[in-house]
Order: sequence, then structure tokens, then C-alpha cells
Amino acid sequence: MLKLTEVNTHYGDVQALRNVSFEIKEKEIVSIIGSNGSGKSTTLNTISGVLRCSSGTIEFLGKRIDHLPPHQIVDEGIVQIPEGRLLFPYMTVLENLELGSFSSKARKAKEENLKVVFSLFPVLEERMNQLGGTLSGGEQQMLAIARGLMALPKMLMLDEPSLGLAPLLVRQVFETVKAINSQGITVLLVEQNVFHSLSTSTRGYVLENGSVVLEGGGKELLNNPQVREAYLGI
Amino acid sequence: MDITVLQLIINGLLLGGMYALISIGLTLIFGVLEIINFAHGEFLMLAMYAAFWLFQLYGIDPYLSMVIILPLFFLIGVLVQRVTIQPIINAPPLNQIFMTVGLSMVLQNVALFVWTADYRTVKTTYSGLTLKTAGLLISFPRLVAFLLAMGLIAALLIFLKKTYTGKAIRALAQERKAAMLMGINVYRTYQIAFGIGSACVGAAGAMLIPVYFVFPSVGSLFVLIAFVVVILGGYNSLTGSLVGGLIIGVVEAFSGFFISPHLKEAIYFVIFILILLFKPTGLFGRA
Amino acid sequence: MRLISRNISGNVLHPKIYFPFFLVVLMAILPLVPQNPFYGDIIVSSFFYGTMALAWNLVGGFAGQISLGHTAFFGIGAYTSTLLYLHYALSPWVGMLAGAGLSVLVAIGIGIPCFRLKSHFFALATIAIGEVLRFLASYWRGLTQGGVGLLIPFKPGIENLMFKSKTPYAYIALALMLVMLLICYVIRNSRFGFHLISLREDQDAAESLGVKSSRSKLTALIISVIFTSISGTFYAQYILFIDPFTLFSLGISIELALFAIIGGLGTVTGPILGAFLLTPLDVFLRAWLGGVSAGLNFIIYGLVLMVAVKYFPLGISGWVRTWYGPFLQKLPGGQRAWKTEEAMALSLVPARASDSGKEREKSPFFAVKSLNKRFGGLVAVRDVSFQIQKGEILGLIGPNGAGKTTIFNLVTGFIPPDSGQVVFQGETITGLKPPHQICLKHIGRTFQLVKPFKDMTALENVMVGAFARVQNAQEARKRALEILAFIGLTKHRDSLASSLTIADRKRLELGRALATQPDLFLLDEVVAGLNPKETEEIISTIKKISGQGVTIFMIAHVMKAVMALSDRIIVLHHGEKIAEGTPLEISRDKRVVEAYLGEDYLA
Repeated sequence: MLKLTEVNTHYGDVQALRNVSFEIKEKEIVSIIGSNGSGKSTTLNTISGVLRCSSGTIEFLGKRIDHLPPHQIVDEGIVQIPEGRLLFPYMTVLENLELGSFSSKARKAKEENLKVVFSLFPVLEERMNQLGGTLSGGEQQMLAIARGLMALPKMLMLDEPSLGLAPLLVRQVFETVKAINSQGITVLLVEQNVFHSLSTSTRGYVLENGSVVLEGGGKELLNNPQVREAYLGI
Repeated sequence: MDITVLQLIINGLLLGGMYALISIGLTLIFGVLEIINFAHGEFLMLAMYAAFWLFQLYGIDPYLSMVIILPLFFLIGVLVQRVTIQPIINAPPLNQIFMTVGLSMVLQNVALFVWTADYRTVKTTYSGLTLKTAGLLISFPRLVAFLLAMGLIAALLIFLKKTYTGKAIRALAQERKAAMLMGINVYRTYQIAFGIGSACVGAAGAMLIPVYFVFPSVGSLFVLIAFVVVILGGYNSLTGSLVGGLIIGVVEAFSGFFISPHLKEAIYFVIFILILLFKPTGLFGRA
Repeated sequence: MRLISRNISGNVLHPKIYFPFFLVVLMAILPLVPQNPFYGDIIVSSFFYGTMALAWNLVGGFAGQISLGHTAFFGIGAYTSTLLYLHYALSPWVGMLAGAGLSVLVAIGIGIPCFRLKSHFFALATIAIGEVLRFLASYWRGLTQGGVGLLIPFKPGIENLMFKSKTPYAYIALALMLVMLLICYVIRNSRFGFHLISLREDQDAAESLGVKSSRSKLTALIISVIFTSISGTFYAQYILFIDPFTLFSLGISIELALFAIIGGLGTVTGPILGAFLLTPLDVFLRAWLGGVSAGLNFIIYGLVLMVAVKYFPLGISGWVRTWYGPFLQKLPGGQRAWKTEEAMALSLVPARASDSGKEREKSPFFAVKSLNKRFGGLVAVRDVSFQIQKGEILGLIGPNGAGKTTIFNLVTGFIPPDSGQVVFQGETITGLKPPHQICLKHIGRTFQLVKPFKDMTALENVMVGAFARVQNAQEARKRALEILAFIGLTKHRDSLASSLTIADRKRLELGRALATQPDLFLLDEVVAGLNPKETEEIISTIKKISGQGVTIFMIAHVMKAVMALSDRIIVLHHGEKIAEGTPLEISRDKRVVEAYLGEDYLA
């Protein structure tokens, strides 16, 4: 479904991604793990078009998307839930959700999607008219995911969804990810929290310093001591 | 309440409505694009001339000419954004400042060249009409202008709150990256925001011509006022611009009566410095 | 000054020295040449605008504060001296000082609140000031005769600064310009100049190197307005008629900026180039297009400004620089070697003699006690305490969002803590503001996203750091050269920082902070973004620094680096300290593994 080939991305002079290649098949849940600074967010931002890759190709459903502007990539069906949630703080929960369905086909299905989203996250319906900035951490994460779902994604990318959340909420987030996947949406997950992400994933890739250093099945990587080395440096 | 005071408040509010409309355009543009359009005053001037000529040549009443001026200035705004601002949107502030400063110079002096420095105004049948109620005198054209201005501002706020494009504008101003990721076309939204801001100031121009004079440098006077309003209201708050405009209008009316009409600029300046020293985010601004 | 005179005496026969003198002599002869007052006027105007452009450039170019209200000071100078002359028969030579004094007071009153505005708003504020003064001058008729203006009766004589011919005016204007030029040149090569430019390039980085931003900006403004104001007096005595609309015109403010931009913003001679090019152009334009086109020249100025800002942001002087050097080499004497002060035998950075204060030995070198910080509802740092021993390397690690950067910002004064203390060498430094104070206490830091002063060479970058400890430019240069050798960047010393690779920039940032002679060195993600070889190199550089007795506190994500460098490590998670120990202990600590890999990883 998604294929990256030899992608290199620079921030000014700094090379953040070095010849990154991987693919994601339909209906999979794939995790990209690695310590901070390894290039995980950069990968998602390059796919989303927020950053431009300096070389390499990105294909989605057979079509090249590497030089499209961000709003077109959303149209193609790839939606990112950014790190830190990045909600619209002075807009209500409902407005945040409505903004998720910006593209015209998503707008048509808005009412339906709202129902789906509220059934997945009933607490959002309760807080419909509250300002986004006043929700708790866990609620904000749910809103961010819900907002992304409103855009009718074919593939959902989540950047560190467990960041700053208490363990109970972390579990909930991953349950939600599984539920979304079971609805037919492919998921690309970027995480620092290795255990949950790898247990939930079909497959995983380990990034270190901008390069892919390990790949394998989710459970397989979980038991691989090299993963621990990559994180803890021994 | 003393009748004089009430009269002054009314006069001030009527005037303040104009100021609010002019300032809100500036705030909108700054909130979304994070640049100040130093040629904003010149857009006002051009709109005043446009309304003047529409009246002079075709007899179109200035308030009615808004039907033409609103879309015209929206387009002018979009065009200016695409040609002069967009290419330097990521350039250092210095370049952005001087681009619109240069534009302001060009527009002012083209106006001077084409239309000379003569003061012009529009005298309609109702220009001098005054309503008398409860011992108060209310200038009819100013009242109409005030109502139109409030109407436009209300329409703008509703637009921003209810429509998709309006929400996209607010979203972009609040959280740029997320807006991009939600499929909002950033460049197009920039253009629209700039266009709307310019349309607002254009409408203000049409409303001002029956009660004021136009000459090539009239823009600088109003831009100074608009600036004080924006700082007073809070540079990222539209409601702030509305309230700030009304307050400044009332302050002007009172200081003109009790102190001297000629010192109003000095008063603005004092207000401006005081705000900077004690509450830099303004009345409604968010840090 | 010593640097300049030594340079001159050693190199008098080199074109770099004699050619500019030649140009000065040429300019001095110029006023004697034309018989036609029209050309005489162009010469006077060129010199006069040259001075004002240089003065504007001090604030706008060197310090990077775009002022569009300089016309205010021009007007204040003109009106003050004129009114004193008309009413009290005070000589303009004295009047100009009074004008300058008043201008300085106004500048201080305005500068202090306005400098905290962001660039766009600062520019707008300065426009406001100019406009307000214009209205004041127009309406205060009792004082200024308002729009009618003031006419100065023609009584030639040097005591009145009035002359029959243009020539004496030209020489006075030239003298003024040369004085301003000299001042700009001296500033550019002095500690003050380095401070200004570093402020323009990156205020945060400059503050961390001890630059006092408010004071520097204000000083530049004061010098600038003095000369602008004196120019106003000169103008009044030259034209003999002043009125508010001409004097307080926004157009003048913009023109000054235009001269500097066209000529080369932030360079020493750029504004003069701009003034000499554009002033004659303006005068000719006005003469030819005359009554046909009021304001046509401004249309052209405006268009030129817009085009220049988009396509030629460096101005003419960028272009001139490319051929000036080779041109000089072709002149007689150009092939001679340029004698400079070289550093003495490149020794290692001398370890700083420790302060007296045996009492200080008793308290911990650096301690953080119960720091707390929330942002809104989010607790970023919760009750964190730790100590750093003198001479050690302490690493701070933790997953993303753990609060590491917040701790750094709390310690370096960028944000104040809600509660808790930071104590350094016996002194409480909690919440010290502004950031430049931290540097004065001998704490140095680097930034996660490196902040080199792009428009300066590597040597100049390090010199800014050195200036934190020395006043003299020559001394600073010497120390900077030593540091460059220490960190291995000597070969890049004259390269612009913008041309360096990321690894070299990180090293430059280390060197620059090292030049401030820190006792405690805070490194923020110094290894991020480097490839394995570069990582090795920077690790060895850091070890060298530590070997000089500098205590190091570093945040890092690249585990290999942290493990290799740190004597001890502290681990943060969710804003709390969860572990502390040697690298080996930490790597085995269950809680640490869970923090990074997930609570259930080891289950």
C-alpha cells in the first residue's frame, strides 16, 4: 500500500533520514520504533508532505506522492495524528472534529463519521462543546485520533500517541488502534514505547540515526535483544 | 447622565465602528500570515478613491458601491498576496517589512501622480442629515456607516465561526502544522485571509468617503489609529479589535472635546506606550 | 584602536590601506570641482545622506532593529537648533548638541518599551513615533509656526553655520560623514560591534554568550540618533527653511533604510554606496520629471525597494566585494603579504584559575533542589533534585517528553521554576534573568538546534564568546584562535558559519561557548544528527574539554555517546527522577528499561 524507497530527508544541512526503505501492506499495523532523534517523526512528516525528501520515492497505492503538497496527501487517504496532539486549542471538540473532515468527500460523510467517532469515544460526545485546550491528556489524544478519523483515512499514521499518558490510558490507546485497524484502516505507528507498539503490530522497523537497522515481525522483534541495545546503547 | 457625555459617547462609538472595521482586517492578516501589511492604509485610500470615482462618474451612492468594492478589494488582496507576499513568506521579517513598505510608497505616490494631492469628498443628499432624538444629535451618514460596519464585522465573525473556510482560517492561525495535516490548503487559505482583510478595509473606505476627505496620504493617518487599536485589543484577537476600535473612538471623542482635537495623535501615542509598558498582550490578547 | 593603528603602520604600503585613503582624498577634492550649484548640491546631499544612512545602518543593519521613524530625530535636531537660534541667537554649533541631547532622551524613552516588540511591530511602532512628532510639530503652532514652517534669515558666517557657497557646506558634511564612518568602522571591529551583530543573528545565542541585549540595542540607538539629529541641524542651516511635513516625513525614514539596503545592510561602507548611488539619481529624477510628476521619484524608490528585497537582499556591497579584493591585488603593492597579529604558539585552553573561596568548596559545585514546573495543567518537572560534582560529566537522559529540555531551560534562566532552587558554587541562581546573567556566572551552554551567527566567520563567532571575558578585540582574537585550534577548526577560521557542515557547526558552538570560560558547561543534544564518524570526533572533543577541568552537564538521546562520556547519569521520566548512577548501573536498572521500552517490556 505504502512504499518508501531510498528516502533521504534533510533539515537544512542536517541529514535526518538516510536511504530509508520500507513498505506497508494493506490492513497491516506497522510500527517504527527507535530512540528519540532517530528519525521517526521525520519519516511521518516526509510521508505527509510537511517535509520534502531530498531524494528517493514514496508510493501510495501505486501512485507517487513524494512531491505533493500536504493537503493533497490527505486527499489521497493518508492522515497523520501528530506528536503532541496539536489540537486547535480555542475551538470546541465538535469544531476540531469538523475540521478533520475538510476534504469534500469527508464533508459529505460528516454526520455519519461523527456517529462512528462518538461510538468509539463516547466521552467526546459528552464534551462536545468544550474547548479543545481544556481536555485532559487522555481525552486530547482521543480527540486527536477522532479528528484524524473524520478525514476518512485509508491509512492512519500516529506519532507517539502514548506520549505523556498514564499507563492505563496507554493501554486504551493501543486498544483503540486495534479497533480502528479491525475496521479496515491500515496503521503506521511511530513509538518510543516498544512493548505496546510491537505487541500490537504485525511488523516493525527499528530506526537508528536516520537509518533502518532492524526489521521483522512484531512479536519477533519484541524478543530481539538487539532492540534493547539500540535503545540503551549496550 | 449628562447629555454632553452621552453625545460624546455616541459620536465616539460611531467613529469607533470605522476604526474597528479597519483594524480587524489588519488583525486577521497578522493572525494568519504573521505579517503586517504596511500598505493596509493605502488599500483604505484606494477604496476611498474608488468610491469617490464611482460616485463622481456613475452617481453610485458610496454605501451602495460597497457591492462593487467588497469583491474588488478581495481580489486586489488576493493578487497582492500572490505577487508580493507569497514569494517571501519564509524570508526574514526585514524583507517582508520592506516589501509592503515599498508597496505602500508606490501606491501612495501613484495616487499622488494620478489624482494629485487635492482633497476630495463625496456629498450626497443625506450628507448633512442629522437625526434628533432625546436631545441628541446623530449624524445620519455616520449612523449608516456604523451599522454597516457592525453588520460586516458580525458577518465576518459568523463566517469564521460557521463556514469551513472560516474555520480553516482560524485553525491555521491557531495551529499551523495540524491545519496542514487536516488537509487544509495553506497557501490558498493565506490568499483568502489576505483578501478578506483587504475587503474589510475596502468597505471601510467606501463608508468613510461621505464623512471624510480622501487624499493620497490619508492612509497613514488611519493606519496609525488601526495600529493602536490592534495593540490595545490584543494583536491576535478579532474581538479585541472590535472592542478596541470602539474604545479608541470614544477616547477620541472625549479628548477632542475636553482637551483639544489636534492632540489626538499624541493621545493615541500615550495610550500605545502605556499598553506596551503595562499590558503588552492587550485587552483580549492571548500570550 | 590599537589594532587599527598597528594594522596601518605595518601595512601602509598595501592597497587595503592606501586605496581607501585615496578615495577619501578624492572625496575631499570633489567639492572644489563643480562651478554649477546644481552639482554642488548633489555633492552636499550625497555626503549628508551618507551620514544619515550610516547612522540608520547602525541600528537597522548592525543590530537588526528596523526603524522607520528615524525621521523623528532628524526633525527634533532641526527644530531644536533652529528654535534656539531664532529665539535665543544660540549658535547652531551649540544648538546641534542640544538637539542631539533631546533626541537621545526621546530615543531612550521610546527604545525601552519598544525593543521588546517583535520585528514587524517594532517597525510599526517607529512609524507611529515619526507620525506623532509630525502632528505635534504641525499643531503646536505657538512653538513651531505649524505647517507654515520656519524661515531662517540668511546671515553667512561660520558661527551661524551658514555660507554663501556650497563648498564649505560640502566639507562640513564630508567631515561629519567621515567621522560617522570612522565610528562605524571602529564599532564593527570592536566588542560592541560583535555584540550587535550577534544580537541581530540570534538573540538567544548572543544572550547565552553574555551579550546584554537591551543595553546594546539602546547604545546603538543613542549613537545613531545623535548623528541623525546633528544632520537635522545641518539640514536646517543648509536649506534655511524647515517645516513639519518635509522634516518628519516617513519618506525620509524609508529612504535611509533604502540606502542601507541597496548599499549593503550591516556592512560598514554599504550605506555610503547606497547614498552616493541613489542621491544623485533622486536629484536628477526630480529635475527631469520636475513638475510633471509629484512623487514619481518615490514610486521608483518604492519599486526599487520591493525588487531589491526580493532579488538583491545583500545589496551592492555583496557584488562589490567580489571584485574589490582582486582589484586591490592588481594595484601596486597589492601582492605584498598582509601582516596580521597571529596568535602566539597555539597552547591549549588554559585552565581557569579557580576563584578564591575555599568556603565554596564546602557546598556542592552545582545543585538542583526540588524543582517544580507546570505548564497549565501539565506537570513538566516534579520535585527534581540532583547534584553535579566538580569536574565530572553528568548525563541527563529520559524518553521523549520526560522534561529534560525543561530542566535545562530552568537552569539556564530561560524560564522560571514554580518552586525549588538552583545553586551554583554556593550562590543561588534560581530564575536568574535575563539569560546573559548565566554566562556572567561562568555557566555556558549550547543549543539543540545549533545557532551559529551565520553572517560571521568561524573566528568571529568564537570571538563573540571571547568578548564575554575580555574587552580588547586583539585579545579576543588571540583567544578565539587558540580555541579554534583546540577544537580543530583552524582551517575554517575565515569561512562564514553558514558554509560549515553540521558537525563543524556543532563544534563551533562548543568552541564559542568555551570561549566564555565556563566552569559548568551545559550541552543540549550535542550529538544529535551526526553520523558515526562525526559522533566519534565530537565525543573526543568533549572528553578534551572535560580534561581541561570543565564540568559538563549534558542532555542526550544517542545512548552510545551518553554511555561513553558520562561519569554518572540521571534518568527522567514523566518529569520525575527515576534513577541515578553509573552508566553500567543505569543500563541494568529495571525502571529505566521500562521507561524507554514500555512498562510491560520486562514482564
